[in-house]
Amino acid sequence: MDWNIDFTGEFFAFFLLAVCAIAGAVLAINFTKVVHTALSLAFTFVSLAGLYILLQAEFVAFVQVLLYVGAVTILMIFGIMMTKHQSEGREPGRPLLETLAAIGCLCLFGILFYAIRSASFPAPEAALPEDNVASIGMLLYSAYAIPFELVSVLLTVAFIGAVALAKREEEQP
Amino acid sequence: MSMLGSYLTLAAVLFCVGLFGVLTKRNAIIVLLSIELMLNAVNLNLVAFSKYGAQPSLAGQIFSLFSMTVAAAEAAVGIAVLIALYRRKATVNVDEYDELGR
Amino acid sequence: MSSVFSQYAWLVPAFPVAAFAILTALGRSLSRAGAVIATIASLASFILSLIIAIERIGQNAEDYVGGIDWLRTGAVNISAGYEVTNLTSLMLVVVTLVALLVNLYSFGYMAGDGRISVFYAYVALFTASMLGLVLADNLAILYICWELVGVCSFLLIGFWYQKPEARAAAKKAFIVTRVGDLGLLIAILLLFWYMPGHALDFASIHNVFDTQSGIVSMSITTLIALLIFVGAVGKSGQFPLHVWLPDAMEGPTPISALIHAATMVAAGVFLVVRTFDIFEASSAAMTVVAVIGAFTAIFAATIGLAQNDIKRILAYSTVSQLGYMMLALGVGSVSAAMFHLFTHAFFKALLFLGAGSVIHAIHTQDIREMGGLGRRMKVTAWTFGIGALALSGIPPFSGFWSKEAILTAALEGDHPWLFIVGVVTAFFTALYMARLFFLAFAGKPRGNAEQAAHAKESPAVMTIPMIVLAALAVVSGFVQTPFKDWLGEWLTGEASSHGASGLVLVASIAASLLGLYLGWLAFVRGTLRPDAVSSRLPWLSRLLERKYYIDELYQLVFAGGLRGLGRALAVFDEAVVDGAVRLTGYSVRALGRLNTKLQNGQIQTYGLAAILAAVILVLAIAGRRFW
Repeated sequence: MDWNIDFTGEFFAFFLLAVCAIAGAVLAINFTKVVHTALSLAFTFVSLAGLYILLQAEFVAFVQVLLYVGAVTILMIFGIMMTKHQSEGREPGRPLLETLAAIGCLCLFGILFYAIRSASFPAPEAALPEDNVASIGMLLYSAYAIPFELVSVLLTVAFIGAVALAKREEEQP
Repeated sequence: MSMLGSYLTLAAVLFCVGLFGVLTKRNAIIVLLSIELMLNAVNLNLVAFSKYGAQPSLAGQIFSLFSMTVAAAEAAVGIAVLIALYRRKATVNVDEYDELGR
Repeated sequence: MSSVFSQYAWLVPAFPVAAFAILTALGRSLSRAGAVIATIASLASFILSLIIAIERIGQNAEDYVGGIDWLRTGAVNISAGYEVTNLTSLMLVVVTLVALLVNLYSFGYMAGDGRISVFYAYVALFTASMLGLVLADNLAILYICWELVGVCSFLLIGFWYQKPEARAAAKKAFIVTRVGDLGLLIAILLLFWYMPGHALDFASIHNVFDTQSGIVSMSITTLIALLIFVGAVGKSGQFPLHVWLPDAMEGPTPISALIHAATMVAAGVFLVVRTFDIFEASSAAMTVVAVIGAFTAIFAATIGLAQNDIKRILAYSTVSQLGYMMLALGVGSVSAAMFHLFTHAFFKALLFLGAGSVIHAIHTQDIREMGGLGRRMKVTAWTFGIGALALSGIPPFSGFWSKEAILTAALEGDHPWLFIVGVVTAFFTALYMARLFFLAFAGKPRGNAEQAAHAKESPAVMTIPMIVLAALAVVSGFVQTPFKDWLGEWLTGEASSHGASGLVLVASIAASLLGLYLGWLAFVRGTLRPDAVSSRLPWLSRLLERKYYIDELYQLVFAGGLRGLGRALAVFDEAVVDGAVRLTGYSVRALGRLNTKLQNGQIQTYGLAAILAAVILVLAIAGRRFW
């Protein structure tokens, strides 16, 4: 296989952030307490934001921190607080399901890895502009105006729906 | 071989870890979090292609923005559904949500 | 002028078909009216066939072929047609005449039966199918009618299905003839395969095998001829498929006269005559036909000597006489065979009707319980006597002339020893007919007094057909005498007068007279004790009484063998087939149980199944690259 990687600063940063992201994800899966899991995933999300910066996507990285580390994780912690978790770690395991799931996931990763290794990606024709936050803003309000508005409608609907669902139902006579 | 392969491999690893969590975790909240992890893996792919693809453009970043928005909406509705379910069944264990088999 | 009436020949079977349809549709409410309808239909058929035959006499009438296209698939074209030749017109007259007389006779014989209209419907259907068989211009139509007459025979033998013997006999007749029918079917398929243009009509068969011989190879020709002969053997009760015919006597006696003496059993002979070109092309097949015919003739005649049932004696006599016809065909004389078929139809139908008259009067079929009937039933005795003399071959009755024609042909043939067999058979024939006649009609009543007191002459509706047949039994022989070969000329179209052979005349008359004289000595005078043979050679008489143990042999070999095979197959079925079925059912049920377990309502299980399926799918599709 072809591992000729330039040990540049970018690679070093990528390696560090990737190790953080994977470690966070694996720890999140292994923790028994739900709060630990949520925090561990927040760590992963932050690492990913770093990777986005490496990829010259500063705006995306900003949104990632704002949305995932801020909104989604806090939302999950609210969910954890509103439910009971006394019986955590005390249920019997499900060895058959877990074994099969592990086999399936490993096979899937094998397939994806094989596909990535055997694919040949042409070199990029041009580089991205250095400071592209302004360009993203221009694009969102010109070429992607309609999807942008639709997404705002979706968010409103999701907001109303979430309120309606989570609202305590009237006691039925 | 540029950095693209490395990013894609990292995304695959995260996706598979998230998938494993979705399939094996009993706690519904962790399942929802694992789904977020899988969505993030996809976003990483989008952003990586936006820089290292054959024709670099901002479309990939914009796509990942939309995907994040939808994921946020999904998380909000998911938690709302979970709380409604919890109120009815007094548990967050996924293996007790088996109404599909009835 | 020649085919004015011939083109309406299709009407001949149409009348009985119509009668059958009416009788079946209106059902039992008709009762005697149904009998009248059927009789009128058969009368119409008879008149039309008579007109057709008269039209063809005395002139070189062209064969008339008519019909419609029936199956047209690609290059193959099978027609549903009829063909009127001198041969078929002769058969038409014989069949319709006997059918008409039997219809009349059944008025009296079946009078007390509640299902008389069903009986007449069957008879009408039989008549129609037999006429169709005679008229058919190709083997496909002939085969259909061939099977139809078989079905009618089955229905009529089992007409009194309350009797277990009748049921068994009907089944036996159907199954045994089926063996022969299978042979005929294979022969037709072979012909269809090998004939140029897949033609099955008799004209093409004549062309291919007679004038352009060599198109079909010699071995195939022999095979086809032998398979056709197998069909004829089954239908005409030749050895070794003769066993059904004597048992078929369980049916009503008019049926025995119509189907099992005069017409249907002669269909085998008729079939060989129609396809005679194939036989002529293969000398091996001809030899087989001659040998089987001769063997059947003498074999059945010896069995007839030892039987006590009046109808069974006549049945074995029928088998024997059909053997004569096959013998004639085997030595190459179509005209002799057809001549014997013609005369035999009359006198054998007469004998059966006479036997029916006796049975009708005293309600027994055992000749040892009869005796002295001659005084009480004069008409029956006289007509039966005429029939017996005709069958025995006493001049100038018809049987003499036809038997003489056959013996002449046998003597002139390749195997003169067949002539000796024929003469010996003639002797046995005369002997058993003498035994039958003298035991039944001469001497004193041997049955109980009540039976004897009831014995009185049958009504006129039964005796008139017998008188008509008796007259025909006397005169029908004169259409072909050694001095004027009129029938043979008319049938084959070539003058083949063989002249009188002194040896044949003397031998056949001597054999017949000797047989009659011995019978007279044994059963009337008493100078020759009837049990002289049976006391000295008990095994011989038992062998004859038991019909050479053929039935027992078949029971042992075929029925026993098949039963054993069936048991073995049953074991195989239970162990292997049922086991496989159970295994299939069990595995499906196990799979279903597994699927039920999978269907537990938990989304994670479903997701896992989906992922695994997707992985397997991808591996299967992408993996094809590697092998």
